[in-house]
Amino acid sequence: MNVIVNKFKKFHYKQLIFYTIIALCLIASVVFVTHNQSLYNRPIAEVIETHLEDTTEMIDIHNNKDFLFTQRIIAKLKNGEENGQLIHLTNKYSSSGAYDQEYYVGNELFISIDKNADVNTDLTGTIKDVKRDKYVVIIAWIFIFTLLIVGKKQGLLSIISLAVNAVLLSFALDVYLKNSDISLLVICSIGVIIFTVISLLLVNGFNEKTYAAIVATLIGTFITLFITYFVMWLTSENGLRYEGMQFLTRRYQMVFMTGLLLGSLGAVMDVAITMSASIFALYEKNNNIPVKALKTSGMEIGKDIMGTMTSILFFVYISGSIPMLILFLKNASLLGYTLSMNLSLELARALAGGIGIVLTIPIGLYTSIFFINRKRTRV
Amino acid sequence: MNVLVWLAAILFILMVLIGGKNGIRSFISLFINFGVLLLTVLFMASPKANPIILTLIGCTVISCINLFFINKVNSKTTTAFISTMITIVILLIFINIVTETAMIQGFGEFEIEELHIFSLYIGVDFVKIASSVIIMSTIGAITDIAISITSPMGELFNHHPSISRKELFLSGLGIGRDILGTTTNTLFFAFVGGYLGLLLWFKELSYSVGDIVNSKVFIAEIITILCAGIGVALIIPIASWINAYYLVKKRNKGEKVAL
Repeated sequence: MNVIVNKFKKFHYKQLIFYTIIALCLIASVVFVTHNQSLYNRPIAEVIETHLEDTTEMIDIHNNKDFLFTQRIIAKLKNGEENGQLIHLTNKYSSSGAYDQEYYVGNELFISIDKNADVNTDLTGTIKDVKRDKYVVIIAWIFIFTLLIVGKKQGLLSIISLAVNAVLLSFALDVYLKNSDISLLVICSIGVIIFTVISLLLVNGFNEKTYAAIVATLIGTFITLFITYFVMWLTSENGLRYEGMQFLTRRYQMVFMTGLLLGSLGAVMDVAITMSASIFALYEKNNNIPVKALKTSGMEIGKDIMGTMTSILFFVYISGSIPMLILFLKNASLLGYTLSMNLSLELARALAGGIGIVLTIPIGLYTSIFFINRKRTRV
Repeated sequence: MNVLVWLAAILFILMVLIGGKNGIRSFISLFINFGVLLLTVLFMASPKANPIILTLIGCTVISCINLFFINKVNSKTTTAFISTMITIVILLIFINIVTETAMIQGFGEFEIEELHIFSLYIGVDFVKIASSVIIMSTIGAITDIAISITSPMGELFNHHPSISRKELFLSGLGIGRDILGTTTNTLFFAFVGGYLGLLLWFKELSYSVGDIVNSKVFIAEIITILCAGIGVALIIPIASWINAYYLVKKRNKGEKVAL
């Protein structure tokens, strides 16, 4: 009895420390983002009064009706030499808000202060941007807490793996920008190996099941890349419109291919671990299960996940284009033109990812069987 | 020939080879999903329509396709459908508040230069559209988790008909926890694959950390990833609870009839 109580206490104690640390981090980060104005070079002002001055209705050349508003804002500077002084700002915004927005009391804005000859008049300035860092910190905490409450230990591991992958990706991009002679695709291919090993080991631990999934993921991802590359070479990229990536000035084809590689990686990993986990589970239940039975059940599992997995990728890629599609359509662009301009790359990515998912089903199945056979001969 | 036609043909052949009838069904459902999404977008372009309501209708149709067409109409898919809808509504309310306060709607600083030929005053509500983008990008993952939880829970219930509601609920949570990591990973890499150009752009122009964490596009993408993660975590307890409740209720009803 005492042992149980002690165990419970120890467990409780550890948990208590963990939650205290999390709570401290939460408080510290929220205090930091709400009081970090002095760290910015750009002047920041908090809106303390707004006044709607003017409303005009406008109709553009395509007969779209919208409203334009002019807002007078009095804001209080939060940093720099003028800290604490009041400043007058003007904001023009529309009711659709494609590239503008209404401001409310309490919003913090990046502004530029007008040079004023007369010292006695009030400060005036123009609005540059919104201070958004505090929102992202709060949402990140909501994300962390949801994952921790629902997922407990697995939730924590997923957060860690996401954070590690994000840091690694940022590092890989830095390496590329410093050594532009090495292709981005090569750097990210090395990155893919590291991403796969780390994510799968973190979530599933060191065991044969994970090794089989790692091998299957790598084979699946690179075959997908190869197939896509081959198709693009064969058709000389007919039908792909890179206009949406014009801001990159150059190398959009390589950036697109690398994005395709990374984008399919997550889904391929998911399929690989699902396949190897279920096949190993069958093997562990019955060590003498014939290979043929493993193959049939493996294919059944694969069939079940194929459709939903491809639709996950599909929705992630296509949805991002919704605002652009609406903008094109409202500007009287033809539907066919709108779709090919905005969706060709996304569709190519989704289809290539789908190919990766489907291919990984047999690849995952056979690598798992290979690892099981190896285990059998050793025993 | 067109790259997209080739890739679609390869995907179709692979799906048929590996999935047989299921493969054909999955391929068709992709096309129907695309059609539904496109139709939703066309309706959204109308200034009278509320994008949030359109998103809800679109999500309902899409989850019907993903659950009832790929699988069949049965108790597993029905509870998965109900839990998907509940999660979507909760998430939609949350995301709408987020997009409104963080002001991440519309277009970013890098897109706006290319868009000067367009009129931006087109009379639609970009805040609501931004919320619908986030929901739409998560709907595939949410239905996937819902069915992955309710389906093995139903099996467990068939094998142990006397299992308590709490045990069923906990088993559902356990299944959900096991897939949480891989699904957040899938979403993360999918989003990163799409944002790669943008990330490179930020790095290349050597934006300071302060600039990046306040930039509209960057924050919009981080928030999309985070909200997607919140969505896939949220569906786990909801689907487990609804399925446990439903299965036990059905059993109790059956007992009463037997008496």
